Amino acid sequence: MDKKNIRNFSIIAHIDHGKSTLADRIMEKCGEFDSRSNNQLLDSMDIERERGITIKLNTASMKYNYNGEEYLLNLIDTPGHVDFSYEVSRSLAASEGAILLVDGTQGVQAQTLANLFLALDNDLEIIPVINKIDLPSSDVEGTTEELLDLGLFNKEDIILTSAKTGEGVDKLLEAIIKKIPAPSGDSKAPLKSLIFDSKFDNYRGVVISARIFSGTLNVGDTIILDNSKKEFIVTELLVTTPNEENVKTLSAGEVGHIVASIKDISAVEVGDTITSKEHYTDERLPGYKPMKPMVYSGLYPIDNTKFDALRDFLMKLKLNDASLTFTPETSKALGYGFRCGFLGLLHMDIVKERIKREAGIDIITTAPSVIYKVNLTSGDVLNISSPSDMPDPGKIKSIEEPFIITNIFVPSEYIGPIMELCQGRRGEFKTIEYISKTRVNIHYIMPLSEIVYDFFDKLKSVTKGYASFDYEVIGYRESKLVKLDVMLNGEVVDALSIIVHKDFAYERGKKVCENLKEHIPRQLFEIPIQASIGSKVIARSTVKALRKDVLAKCYGGDITRKKKLLEKQKAGKKKMKKIGSVELPPDAFMSVLEDKGE
Amino acid sequence: MSRIKHLYIHIPFCSSICAYCAFTKVYYNEELALKYLDSLEEEINKKYKGDTLDTIYIGGGTPSSLSINALKKLKNITDKLNKSKNIEFTFEVNPDVTIDKLNIIKDMGVNRLSIGLETINNKFYKSINRYNDENKFKELIKYSKTLFNNINVDLMYGFNNETLSDLKKDLDYVISLKVNHISIYALMIEEHTKLYIEKYKEESDDKLNKMYYFIDNYLNKNNYIHYETSNFALKGYESIHNNSYWKNEEYYGFGLSASAYINDTRYTNTRSLDNYFNKKYITQYEKLSKYDKMVYEMILGLRLKNGVSLKEFKDKYHKDLLDVFKIDDLINNGYLQIENDRIFIPIKYWFVENSILERFV
Repeated sequence: MDKKNIRNFSIIAHIDHGKSTLADRIMEKCGEFDSRSNNQLLDSMDIERERGITIKLNTASMKYNYNGEEYLLNLIDTPGHVDFSYEVSRSLAASEGAILLVDGTQGVQAQTLANLFLALDNDLEIIPVINKIDLPSSDVEGTTEELLDLGLFNKEDIILTSAKTGEGVDKLLEAIIKKIPAPSGDSKAPLKSLIFDSKFDNYRGVVISARIFSGTLNVGDTIILDNSKKEFIVTELLVTTPNEENVKTLSAGEVGHIVASIKDISAVEVGDTITSKEHYTDERLPGYKPMKPMVYSGLYPIDNTKFDALRDFLMKLKLNDASLTFTPETSKALGYGFRCGFLGLLHMDIVKERIKREAGIDIITTAPSVIYKVNLTSGDVLNISSPSDMPDPGKIKSIEEPFIITNIFVPSEYIGPIMELCQGRRGEFKTIEYISKTRVNIHYIMPLSEIVYDFFDKLKSVTKGYASFDYEVIGYRESKLVKLDVMLNGEVVDALSIIVHKDFAYERGKKVCENLKEHIPRQLFEIPIQASIGSKVIARSTVKALRKDVLAKCYGGDITRKKKLLEKQKAGKKKMKKIGSVELPPDAFMSVLEDKGE
Repeated sequence: MSRIKHLYIHIPFCSSICAYCAFTKVYYNEELALKYLDSLEEEINKKYKGDTLDTIYIGGGTPSSLSINALKKLKNITDKLNKSKNIEFTFEVNPDVTIDKLNIIKDMGVNRLSIGLETINNKFYKSINRYNDENKFKELIKYSKTLFNNINVDLMYGFNNETLSDLKKDLDYVISLKVNHISIYALMIEEHTKLYIEKYKEESDDKLNKMYYFIDNYLNKNNYIHYETSNFALKGYESIHNNSYWKNEEYYGFGLSASAYINDTRYTNTRSLDNYFNKKYITQYEKLSKYDKMVYEMILGLRLKNGVSLKEFKDKYHKDLLDVFKIDDLINNGYLQIENDRIFIPIKYWFVENSILERFV
């Protein structure tokens, strides 16, 4: 197809603002949608459907007839959550335009803005869309005002749609064709292509998703991956329409998938440039600025023999999730595992969930931690992502921790509860901006460590779900921090240690003991729980010994039942981790950060 | 196939339904009962190979809910069973059993009576849908003793608001009856019972635990040996039939929902009367491997005060118990004890024994 009839675009939207439904409508208009099925086509991962969010990139190519001319529209999906802005930047770099989708009943949200600014950085043409206009609770006027306040659009640029009924979708398609520039690039020039995603297929090996910026790639060509300089012969080229379809060539401006019998996962790096032997160039595309993991946590297989399986699966995840980092670590309590770095908590949840579902490995996750900068008296500086690595207090001059500034978008009646929440988490108030008459953006400066666990949940619960939240890391600041250790049955369990602010240590110690008491089931013996700083015990609690676990009445008829009962009970315990003589359920390790009181 | 020494017969009928009972039971109806006994006879004829029996146990339900006529019919069935000279033949009755019925039961050859008293305390009758009169019951025991030299009384504890002195009162009463055997169970709420539907709350683990060890202590002082998790007996009066279960011996089981253990296979009969009448007796069976048998040997045997004999285990399975099961930590921590030839759970862990037994499955 002629390049001038190709449009590459993304959709920027907040979770639940209707992106997947809109994508379905667009495909339907293009005749690519089987109306018998109600499945949303782009969200293919189970976890995505369950949570109503998009995590991984997906692309769909479709043909649309406009004024007698056929156009190829490549929709490159973007995830909506703040954790995944790295993924967003990948999809934005592969397109020329983006639809800014805003739910008319919710207004502009924090994450949407963050992603919008990313798109602007990539010089993308933005088409603002207000969706869900069919709902009675939709406030088109207010949302329009919020969009205009951004100073980027005119009122007539804004398109009103209902992805549910299909209203406005034709107008949107017209805007995509008229406003979003066709990709530039010479299909006769040497091949330059950007890897923006990849996945592993058991039969085909690595499947690369790429955007061709210049030149043409044919089946049978020998591609060269710039970073590794490795060469592979292209066996298949595919486009998603949204079903996979084989093509013979991909040329400048197009988006598609490359199969080249690549078995070595590590050869393919997202952001790398592909060229070919046939149309070689040593010029590189800019690639991406990789996002740095912000949250670290230890992942340990409950069954220690699964260590290798866990490593293999993490490598597979890493293939299309460059932001995930992992290095082996050992814990006295948990054995061999990995210290993994995540973009945020949702990212961590998704990775955990995929390990469980796709690899079938039961794991324990230790409480998430940020990276602390520890200035030693010797003048050395240590970067520490695991509390158990914290050196002896005598050797520490000072400790710095990362701070963030928040964007909390919320109806103004919730200002009070939010301020209370932030102040309880060592927040320092900055400003409140009014984005409309009834909605504000609240800025607090807070330690990142205070939001890594349940801040977002708390925020949602104090605002009945109306708040949206985003943050930006502003740098390191010194804090009075100490390591809090936990002893079970008189022995320190390294995997339960956390770093806390000195002023909150006693309170936290008490909560840790209470939470653990709740999470640890009664066992054959009494289990003392103690929280300590250094050698000083600051809080304690006790899990009393089990008092009843018996099938009192057991006749001949109950014998097989008794065995089944015992088998079931035993299977339940297999999900627990034995530390010394104490059996801990996996959620106990996270409970050290739980806050019931707020 | 070696001789099977034990036989169980289930009579599923009851004249009233107890609120805590999760066993298979049906309201008594003469016509249905007679039909049931016909089917029972057929099942026995089909499966019983004429073995000489050391024990027979007729349980329920409420076997004493059968009419005189039906009891006579049952007698005709049991008369055909071959009984060893020293047989232990148990029959379960409710406190409302009549003298006429007891006489037929005696004629049947029964020599051990098991009476479901549960409690004598009128504070708790209502919650379990039973009624007992203290003096009438004493009369029943008095008469029963003239017919049977071996009597068990079933007790229950752990009613809501029951105090230790309430419990002591029940124990004192049963001790005063001078029976040879006491079975005593904590009231546990199981699905498909009236109490479960009414959301009756089980007493706390701590309280039940305290009561359990109070009972242990009190009955011990009165010469009852706590020989199994829930059973006490005067010396020499342990139930041979029940012990056969704990010793993992094979047994016949006939009737609705009965279970049997024959030729290395554990069977469970149907719970549906219709199926039973249509001769579809068995709903499930489990063929046991040698290892399965060793597992059962442990999870059953460790319910007994005497536990499992290391030597008998080796004679039976040609393997050392301590090689088959990795239980060093349980022994080192005192959850299991070995004395002379026997491995057993010390009594202080009996009320949490499942946490120990689960290690064997």
